[in-house]
Amino acid sequence: MYQIPRAEWYDLTRATNWTYSYVTEEEMFPEEMSGARGIPMEEWETYDEPYKVTYPEYVAIQREKDAGAYSVKAALERDAYVDRADPGWISTMIAHYGAIAVNEYAASLAEGRMARFAKAPGNRNMATFGTLDENRHGQIQLFFPHANIKRSRQWDWAHKAMQTNDWASIAARAFFDDIMLCRDAVAVSIMLTFGFETGFTNMQFLGLAADASEAGDHTFASLISSVQTDEARHAQQGGPSLKILIANGHKDEAQKLVDISIWRAWKLFSVLTGPIMDYYTPLEHRSQSFKEFMVEWIIIQFERQLADLGLDAPWFWEDLTNDLDVTHHGMHLGVWYWRPTVWWNPAAGAGPEEREWLEEKYPGWNKTWGKCWDVITDNLNNGREDLTLPETLPYVCNMCQLPIVGTPGNEWNVQDYPLEFEGRLYHFGSKADRWCFEQDPERYKEHQSLIDRFLSGQIQPADLPGALAYMGLGPGEMGKDAHDYAWAAAFKKQAEVA
Amino acid sequence: MAAFPINSNFQGDFVMQLVPVDTDDTMDQVAEKCAYHSVNRRVAPQPDKVMRVRLHNASDNFPRDMKVSDAGWRPTETLDIIFADQ
Repeated sequence: MYQIPRAEWYDLTRATNWTYSYVTEEEMFPEEMSGARGIPMEEWETYDEPYKVTYPEYVAIQREKDAGAYSVKAALERDAYVDRADPGWISTMIAHYGAIAVNEYAASLAEGRMARFAKAPGNRNMATFGTLDENRHGQIQLFFPHANIKRSRQWDWAHKAMQTNDWASIAARAFFDDIMLCRDAVAVSIMLTFGFETGFTNMQFLGLAADASEAGDHTFASLISSVQTDEARHAQQGGPSLKILIANGHKDEAQKLVDISIWRAWKLFSVLTGPIMDYYTPLEHRSQSFKEFMVEWIIIQFERQLADLGLDAPWFWEDLTNDLDVTHHGMHLGVWYWRPTVWWNPAAGAGPEEREWLEEKYPGWNKTWGKCWDVITDNLNNGREDLTLPETLPYVCNMCQLPIVGTPGNEWNVQDYPLEFEGRLYHFGSKADRWCFEQDPERYKEHQSLIDRFLSGQIQPADLPGALAYMGLGPGEMGKDAHDYAWAAAFKKQAEVA
Repeated sequence: MAAFPINSNFQGDFVMQLVPVDTDDTMDQVAEKCAYHSVNRRVAPQPDKVMRVRLHNASDNFPRDMKVSDAGWRPTETLDIIFADQ
């Protein structure tokens, strides 16, 4: 049977606008869902997605991807890699699945919003595939860890984490709700796909895939690559939206949407990816430091992309660049110290050789972060584990919902950026976090951080065990040191030899 | 006498922490309560120094015997706890 060449019908099938006879355009595309911002339909019809795919092509490619990833998993399951992998790498996977898997389903809803409500036909077309992508990502990232539940209850947090009030879940939900579930279709295309996926998803998935291969975890590497190839396609939905906003006099708003999503994504990745890359991944398997990866994949890449679109680097660009030496070290130390509050076993990554690597990659680490780890190491080596466990809560930021951290030790500089708004005192971990709040206080003002919930009596009993119960952490789930303090003992051995 | 939450920013530490104090506490007692969650945990003790309390980024310390109820703080006020000679 003769088939019409793709080039002859493709544009027709993606131009799916029509003249409505039963409803008005406003009823068809309500502003709060579509976010057209007064830009006429003819302009949205110029939306030109850079990556074009047809449904038959999509299905064929996805089938191949799934077949590849699932067959690697099946083949290597007998190899029981998980049973002999470094505990730090196991923690990486458990943290990743809990933070990401269920949010992929949420991303499917965000793609669905664009698929239905975007005025740009090309965006609706791409988002239809994006909806299917994210659904696949949710399924595959729940199915793979499920095979390991027999090994530890922590693997079950792939599904459980986002249903709990764990502090990390509150932080992830606050971010994803903001950029993808509670925005109009145009804002979703910019904040989710351009701000978050173009840069940060690239980093989480490319960085992890590189580290997974290095660590010999081919199952995880193939899964991650399978997901990333979808991301690389559907992340391109934001660029054309930005071009239309800028061409129609909305550059300031386009810039603001980009800036908010980049900052918020940065904070989330500083707690998720930073510790994984610089502390959890075994030293011999690290491909780049988190800072090196951020500079190559985020700083340089975004600067180029923003300039190509006619946008400026975000106003906080210098702050973000400086924070590459600070924030993720603080997030890591916080996660490790408050380890009973997470669903994975944090790897301290602070043994003698690892500290040498940290000092080389982050000059000055030993006289700042190292000072805190010195006290911790001494306590562990003197039988005072109790002093390495928390008895109160860290103060968290009212925007990112993560601890307010800064440089410790000899160069102590921990800053709060408070704001009193309508009689309530808010605390923020950075100027940019406070700025995000100030752009739209109505959106954020009612949200209660973990500290707000604690102080308003929602957490009972009002102590740390009560907080752990509130977070849904049961026996066998609470984090402990991934290597049973072997890294601290290494210092003791070193001293004995000397 | 009532519980009063503050945001403790302890010199040398890397994180701010929620610390419950009492409205009858003096500044020295506030410093002690904050130190409990930082010193010997992530901050080395400085036995030859005293610990003083000041508003976040302020230059003046509160008098050591001043009570919380007289300090005019808002609940969850951010305070710097610093090592000083006196």
